Amino acid sequence: MTVDALSAPSAGDPVFHAPRTLEEAFDALAEDGAVALAGGTSVGLLVGQGLLAPTALVWLGRIPGLGSVGVAEGPLSLGATATLASLASDPRVRTAAPALADAAAAVGNTRVRAVATAGGALAHADPRQDLPPALLALDARVEVAGPRGRRELRIDELVCGFMSTDLAPDELITAVRVPAPPGRRSCYLRFTPGSDDDYPTVSVAATAVVSDGTPSTVTLAVGGAGPVAYLVPEAQELSGATGARVAGLVADVAEAAARRADPVDDRLGSAAYKRRMVAVWARRALGRCLTGER
Amino acid sequence: MSPLEAPERAAPQVAAPARPSSAGTAAGRAVRVDARDKATGVTRYSADVEVEGALHAAVVRSTRSHADIVSVDARAALEAPGVTAVVTAAEIDARFGGELCGRRVRDMPLLASGKVRFIGEPVAVVLGETRRAAEDAAALVDVEYRGLPPVLDALGALEPGAARVHEEPWRYDGAVVTESDHPNLQSELVEGDQDAARSVLAGAAHVVKARYRTPSGHQGYLEPQCWTAWPLPAGGVALLGTVKAPYRLREQTARTLRLPPEAVEVQPVPLGGDFGGKGGVVDPTLCAALAILAGRPVRLALRAGEDFTATDARHPAVVEVEVGCDDEGRLLALRVDAVFDGGAYAAVKPIPSVNLHGIAECALGYRLDAFSIRSRIAYTTTLPKGHMRAPGAPQAVFAVESAIDELAAAAGIPAHELRRRSVLRDGDRDAYGHVWEEARGVQTLDAALEHAPRDPAPGDPAPVDAGMLRPGDLSGARWRRGRGVALYARPTAAPASTSVRLVPEADGRFVVELPLPETGTGSHSVAREAFADALGVDPRLVEVRQVSTGGLPYDPGVGASRVTAGVTAAVRQLADRWRETGGVGPVEVETSAAGEPPALSFCAQVADVAVDAETGEVRVLALTTAVDVAAVLRPTAHRMQVDGGAVMGYGFACLEDLLEADGQVWAANLAEFRIPTAADAPVLRTVLVEGGRGVGPCNVKAVGELSNVPTAAAVANAVADATGCRLRHLPLTAERVYWALEEAGAAATTPAGHRLGEGAPA
Amino acid sequence: MRLHARVNGAAFEADVPATASLLDTLRAAGLTGTKEGCRVGVCGLCTVLVDDRPVSSCLFLAGCAEGADVWTVEGMATRAPWAVEAFVEHEGMQCGICTPGQVVAVASMDRDIATEPEVRRYLSGNLCRCTGYGTIVEAALDAKRREREALGHIDAGNHDAEGRA
Repeated sequence: MTVDALSAPSAGDPVFHAPRTLEEAFDALAEDGAVALAGGTSVGLLVGQGLLAPTALVWLGRIPGLGSVGVAEGPLSLGATATLASLASDPRVRTAAPALADAAAAVGNTRVRAVATAGGALAHADPRQDLPPALLALDARVEVAGPRGRRELRIDELVCGFMSTDLAPDELITAVRVPAPPGRRSCYLRFTPGSDDDYPTVSVAATAVVSDGTPSTVTLAVGGAGPVAYLVPEAQELSGATGARVAGLVADVAEAAARRADPVDDRLGSAAYKRRMVAVWARRALGRCLTGER
Repeated sequence: MSPLEAPERAAPQVAAPARPSSAGTAAGRAVRVDARDKATGVTRYSADVEVEGALHAAVVRSTRSHADIVSVDARAALEAPGVTAVVTAAEIDARFGGELCGRRVRDMPLLASGKVRFIGEPVAVVLGETRRAAEDAAALVDVEYRGLPPVLDALGALEPGAARVHEEPWRYDGAVVTESDHPNLQSELVEGDQDAARSVLAGAAHVVKARYRTPSGHQGYLEPQCWTAWPLPAGGVALLGTVKAPYRLREQTARTLRLPPEAVEVQPVPLGGDFGGKGGVVDPTLCAALAILAGRPVRLALRAGEDFTATDARHPAVVEVEVGCDDEGRLLALRVDAVFDGGAYAAVKPIPSVNLHGIAECALGYRLDAFSIRSRIAYTTTLPKGHMRAPGAPQAVFAVESAIDELAAAAGIPAHELRRRSVLRDGDRDAYGHVWEEARGVQTLDAALEHAPRDPAPGDPAPVDAGMLRPGDLSGARWRRGRGVALYARPTAAPASTSVRLVPEADGRFVVELPLPETGTGSHSVAREAFADALGVDPRLVEVRQVSTGGLPYDPGVGASRVTAGVTAAVRQLADRWRETGGVGPVEVETSAAGEPPALSFCAQVADVAVDAETGEVRVLALTTAVDVAAVLRPTAHRMQVDGGAVMGYGFACLEDLLEADGQVWAANLAEFRIPTAADAPVLRTVLVEGGRGVGPCNVKAVGELSNVPTAAAVANAVADATGCRLRHLPLTAERVYWALEEAGAAATTPAGHRLGEGAPA
Repeated sequence: MRLHARVNGAAFEADVPATASLLDTLRAAGLTGTKEGCRVGVCGLCTVLVDDRPVSSCLFLAGCAEGADVWTVEGMATRAPWAVEAFVEHEGMQCGICTPGQVVAVASMDRDIATEPEVRRYLSGNLCRCTGYGTIVEAALDAKRREREALGHIDAGNHDAEGRA
C-alpha cells in the first residue's frame, strides 16, 4: 500500500529540508511557497486539510540551540523551538513568568504541548491562542532573523491581524525574550466553560510589580476577544493604588478592557457574551495579581 | 490476507484466526475475550483490513440544502491522475434499475437523482487508485444547481403551505403517511387519550405547561465509518464494514441492487463504537454498487468530518409538556406533544412506525389517571436524522422530568417526594394499562438519593481541577450549589430471535459462532460467560466469533437493548442442545422471540452542580446513578455501560451540539463537536439495586440505553435548584445560564418550596 | 524522501512524500494498530511515541521523524508491558478503538503519577465514547504502580509538570 501524499499531487511533491543552521534555513525558505515548521502541528493540520500546498517544507527541529531556554542577566530567553511542555515545566519560567508557564500548560492537550513550540504558535497567530495575551502582558519581545539581518518586535508588532504576522516569507522567529523585573507577579486565566481542552471563550493575562503591597507597572492583556490579543493600557491607572480605591479602579479597568474588545459570534460564545466575560475575567485576573493569591 | 486471493471461489471470511485462550485471560481469570488483542493493537477494524486491488471512493457532496441538479461535469475529474471513473445516479440507475434505499422507508437514492435535499447528500463518486487521488479529483467535479426553497426547521416544515421536501412521500415503499397527511410528515405516533388528558389537567390543582428544546447531536463513535465491497462470482457482492445489523443490510442491499439475498454476503468485523449510528444501509449499498460497476473491490472510508456532516444525527426536538397533580402532589395527567426534525430522508430509521419509541417511555414510570403522547417527525432539507442510544428518550425525558420538577415547585413539594408518591411500585398498572409484577421505582429513587454525596464538599475530588488555572476552591459567593434528580423507566423485552452455532474443537475448546458484531458493549464476552456457565466449563475454554451472513440464518442486529437477553438465551439453548446430542457437535440453534412478559428497569440519577453566578458556568461535580438490576453476568462490562451512559448523558446535558444552522452542520469534527474528556467527566457514583426479576433463562435486564437518558433533566433540575433559573434548552451552556440569570435579576432567589440540597431525604 | 527511523526497536525505512503523515506512513507499513480518527489532533486515536514524547501522528509530518525512536501500540508489550497488563486486567476498554492511543499515552506518562486528577489531566486528549473513563483511569493508575514496582521511583526533578518522564 503506498502512502498517500497529504497535499495535492498536482502541486508536486514538496522537498523536505532539515537545515542544520539558520543560514541553510534561510536558503531553503528563499524558494517561493516554502513553509517553515517546528513542531509541525499547525502546518500538519493545514496541509492535511488541503489549506496549504507548500513547494518546500523547512523543518527547524535540527538547528541546535533554537529550542533552549536560558536566563541572560534577568530576562528569560526562550528559543523559538522550545516546546510548550518545556515552557510549562521549566522552573525558571515558573518563577520569572508564571503567566507564561500557565498559558503554555493550558494549550490543547498533552500531545500538542509535547511538540508545539512558542515560535510556531506565534507565527500561526490564531486569536484564540493562549500564548499571545500572556506574552503581551509580560511585555515580551520577539527576535526575528532573516537573510537581511535581525530585528526585535513587540508582540503587537509581530501579530498584526487575524492569522497574519509581520514576518516576511524568509524570516524566522528565533527567540522570545521575557523581561523578569524583580517582584513582578503575573497570572493567566482562561475561561473554558465547556470542555476543558477547548479554546477559551476569552482569556486574560495580568502582571503587577508589587512592593509593600503597592502595585506599580500593572499590565493587562486580553485574548479571544478580537482579531488579535490586545493590551489594556488603562491598567496602568492601578499603579500606586491602595486600600479602598483598588476595587473601584479594578472595575474601571475591567470595563475598559471590555470596551476595547472586538469579539465575533462563534461556537465559543456570542460577541455580547464575550464582551461581558472580558470584564469579569479581567477583574479576576487583576484581583489575583494584586493580592498575590494563586 | 486479501479476500481476493482465489477469485474462482467464494471469498473466504475475513475472520480473525482462532486465538489461543489466553486472549481473554488475565491474572488467571477470564476477562473480556478481546482485551489483550485490543490492548496490543492486534484487533482489526474495518479500515485495518487490507484489500488488494481496491479502488478508493471519494464522494462529491451537495453544497445546497435544496436544489435541482442542473448538470454534473466530471471531465476535469476524469483527466486527473489516478482516477478510474466518476459515477453518478445515471450509471447506478442504468445498471441497477433506480431503486430507492432505506432501512424501512425506502426514500433515499444511492446518489442524488435530479434533486438534492441536504448539504452533504452524495451526488457523485470518484473512484481512484489512491484515496488522495480520488479526493483531489472529487474537488474538480463541477455540479450546477438551481436553488429550491429550503425547509430548515421542523415546526415550519409542518405549517400549511410549507415547501415540500418530497413530492409524494406516501408513495415510498415502507412509508407510514398517507396523501391526507401534511406532505412534510415522516411519521406520527400517538399514544393515550388527548381529550381525557386535557380534561384531567383542567381539573388539576397544579399544572405546569412548558416547551423544551434539544439540539441535533451525534453518536460520537470514534471509529469513522468505512466499508469495503468486492464483487463475488455469479454477480454477487461481499461487504465488510461498520455495520451493526448485517442481516438487515444484506436484505436492503439485495433489494436495492435487485439481487437475491444470498448473493450478498456481509463479513464479520468488530466495530469501534456504534450508539445507533452504524445501521445505515444507503452508504454501504452504494459501496456495493460501486464494486459491482467497477468489477473490483471498492473502499469507501469517511473522513474529514463526514461522519458528522453526512451520515445521520440524533433528532433535534421541540417538546411541549403539560403535567398536573393534585394538592397532595399525586401526579394526575401528562400530555406530551413533540415535534422532531427528521431531516431530508426517513431512510435511516429502522422501525416499522418510523418514529422514536423512546418518547413512549416518558409516561411509563408513573401512575397516571390519563396521558397523551403525540410525536411527529418532519421532513426538512437538513442532515437525515436517525437513532442514537434510546432514540427519543433523552429528548422526551429531559422535557418531562424537567416539567415534573417545575410542577413540584408550583405545588410546594420537594421534587423527589413528588416522584416518590407516583412512581410505579410492584403490582401497579402503568398508564398503558400494563400491570408490572415488579416495578422498583421507589427503591431505585431512594438508592440514588442515599448514595449521592451527603454534602458535596469543596474537597470532593473534581477531576477537572488542575489547580493552576481554575480556582480549586468552590466555596465563595460566586458559586451556587444545587442538586437535581431525574428518573427513567424502560422495559426489557423478552429475548428476541437469533441464531447461534457451536463448534467443539478436538482439544476440548468450544467455538461459539454469533451473527452479531462486537460493537464494544462486550456482547461476545457476555455470550462466552453465559455459555460457559450453562455448560459448567471454564470460560477460558470458550472462544466467541462473529461469522458472515452466510454462516448463520438470521439476526435483527445490535440495538434496542435486545442483545444481552437474546444472545444469553440463545447460547443457553445451545448448551442444552449440545448436551442432548451427547456432546457431539457442531450444533446450531435458531431461537424465536420468547413469549414471556417484559421486565421493567428503573434508572434514577442525582446531579450535584456548582454554577458560577458571574459567568453562568455549570460544573457537574458528581453524578450518582442508581440502576435497578437482576443478574449481572459481567460486572465490569455492566459498570462501563452505566458509566459510559452517564458520561454521554452529561455530554448531552452540557456540551454537545452539532450546531445545525442554515441547513449546515457547523460543528463538523471532534474539535468542534466536543464530547466529554476524561478531565470533563463528573465524578461518577453508581449503586446497583440488586435482586430484580429479569427476562430469559439468564435473568437479565438491559443496561445499554439507560444511564444516558435522565442526566440532562437531573442537571437542569440541579441548575434550577442552584440559581432559581429554569433552563429549557440544551445544552446548558454557560452563556444560556448567564442570560437567564441576568433576566431573572442577578440576585435571584431560589423558588418557593424545599431545596433538595437541604436536609436528608425521607 | 527516504525516511530512516527506528520503529518499535527495529530499523525502519520508507519512501514517503514529504507531506505524508507519520500515521499514514506507519499504517502503510502494516502497523495498523495505530488508528485514524478525527485527523485534527483531538481524539488521540493516533497517539504514538516519538523520542519518548506522545504525539498526534495524524498531524506529525513523517520527515520530522527522521532519525527518531518511534514506538507504537504494537511495541508496547516490549516497551511498557505493565501498561498492557493493566489495561487487560482492568478491562480498560469496550469497543477498543481508543485503546491503542490510551495504552501508548499511559506508557509515556510519568512513572510517579499516582492520583486520579493527574491521570485525567494527562489523558484529557485521549477521548473515549464507550467506557466513561473509569476503567481506563484505574488501568492507568495500576500501570504506573506496576512500573514503579518494576523500575523504582525516579527523582521528582526528572519529570516535568506535564507529567512526562
